[in-house]
Amino acid sequence: MKGKGGKGISSRVLRGDRIASGVGVVALSLVAGFISLPILSLLLWTVSEDSWRAMATPVAREALLLSVKTTSISMFFIILIGTPAAYVLARASFPGKRVVDSLVDIPAVLPPSAAGIALLLTFGRFGLLGEHLEAFGLTVSFTTTAVVLAEIFVASHFYVRQATVGFSQVRRDVEEAAMVDGAGRFSAFSRVTVPLAFPALLAGAVMAWARALGEFGGTIIFAGNFRGITQTVPLAIYTQLQSNFDAAVALSVMVLGFAFTVILSARYLLRKAAELEV
Amino acid sequence: MTVFAAASLTDAFGELAAIFEERNPGVEVHQSFESSATLLTQLRQGARADVFASAAEDEMNAAEDDGLVADEPEVFVTNREVVMVPDGNPADIRRLRDLARPGVKLVLAAEGVPAADYAVEILDNANARYGSGYKRQVLSNVVSREADVRASVNRVALGDADATFAYASDHTPDTRERVEIIEIPEALNIVATYPIAVLKDADRQELARQWLELVTGQEGQRTLEKWGFEPA
Repeated sequence: MKGKGGKGISSRVLRGDRIASGVGVVALSLVAGFISLPILSLLLWTVSEDSWRAMATPVAREALLLSVKTTSISMFFIILIGTPAAYVLARASFPGKRVVDSLVDIPAVLPPSAAGIALLLTFGRFGLLGEHLEAFGLTVSFTTTAVVLAEIFVASHFYVRQATVGFSQVRRDVEEAAMVDGAGRFSAFSRVTVPLAFPALLAGAVMAWARALGEFGGTIIFAGNFRGITQTVPLAIYTQLQSNFDAAVALSVMVLGFAFTVILSARYLLRKAAELEV
Repeated sequence: MTVFAAASLTDAFGELAAIFEERNPGVEVHQSFESSATLLTQLRQGARADVFASAAEDEMNAAEDDGLVADEPEVFVTNREVVMVPDGNPADIRRLRDLARPGVKLVLAAEGVPAADYAVEILDNANARYGSGYKRQVLSNVVSREADVRASVNRVALGDADATFAYASDHTPDTRERVEIIEIPEALNIVATYPIAVLKDADRQELARQWLELVTGQEGQRTLEKWGFEPA
């Protein structure tokens, strides 16, 4: 900011500030409005058309249960395998690291329907791996396992990426200090590194979970669509659209409530973690 | 001009659109192919289209009842159901009856999709012949309800499923080499009738009427026959 007199500066700064904050307020209202209007329409329809009754139907209940079950299993594997993998990506240097690094990003930019086709050609009955699995009597398509595979494929990126960033922000000397104090490599990792990277890990886990919950294209193309086995909430919404619009709306509201609960709990956990650090 | 058409019409209408565009320079035909049930839902929710071609009378009647249709719908073509199995027929399905054998992986289109509703009617008809448990046994072999009839044919073409119910017209050049057809006895089969109508909200009523003329005319009927349909 250039100004000649003291008074000139402050008034000009003030005016600039006002314009800037005006633009900011308008932009923020647009963002908030654009997100809240469709949500509001969903809720209004549910109330006015009595479609909340459809939430109690077996289709809705089975779909929600299956979504809870499959995303929990997916998150278990993503965290179990993704955490050490992310740590290696953050700390170690090895030949081909850049290739692996880019590979992790591919599912995030690949349209889910393309992921579904890729999975089908891998694990389908005549797929690259599926053919051999079939020889052992293992069939993946049309099973809940297929749903979990699709979810892990599209969602793991979000956890691994965030965790890598989180781990690389933990200073090496803090870890080393713990090891000098007698902690083994594993206990230094679990007692020092993981707690310090916890906010990043949690944020990544929530993103990955959200992506797994919304998984549609990969599941319908690869896993199939059958109540209680492969019909998760997004598939149930799509299927109900064929015959019962009210039920489709009810399911959308249900999944919205579920997602909202998880986001709020994650925020609460993050706040608690921040308090503990202070 | 926008045409909403049942998924089974994908190829035939695609070819007719090219003819229509050639005859009416400057006109672009946009087509949306989904199950008739999905299209009906979209129309009810205010989707703009000029023509609706349904694979079943039910969906068209519902559209008429909701005041979405401009003129009296016209049946322009019929289609019969068949059973499709992957090339080589891994589950060795020879007759309709074999679908009840335990372990057969059957896919159907979703409930409410005409092709699947017809399949259930056929199973009802077959119950009388094969015994009362037949339909229940067949339905217990269903491993997936696909979004529309073309999706269920793809499942069979890829060999992931052992069989599906589809229309004779779904035996397209794209799937012909990978899928075999098993005919359903005529006495048990359902003939699907396809009604078409200009929609009330049509922005281009005149073009829409010309489209109906093309579809119901000699050239349209010939094209539809080429794709496995039977004239109305």
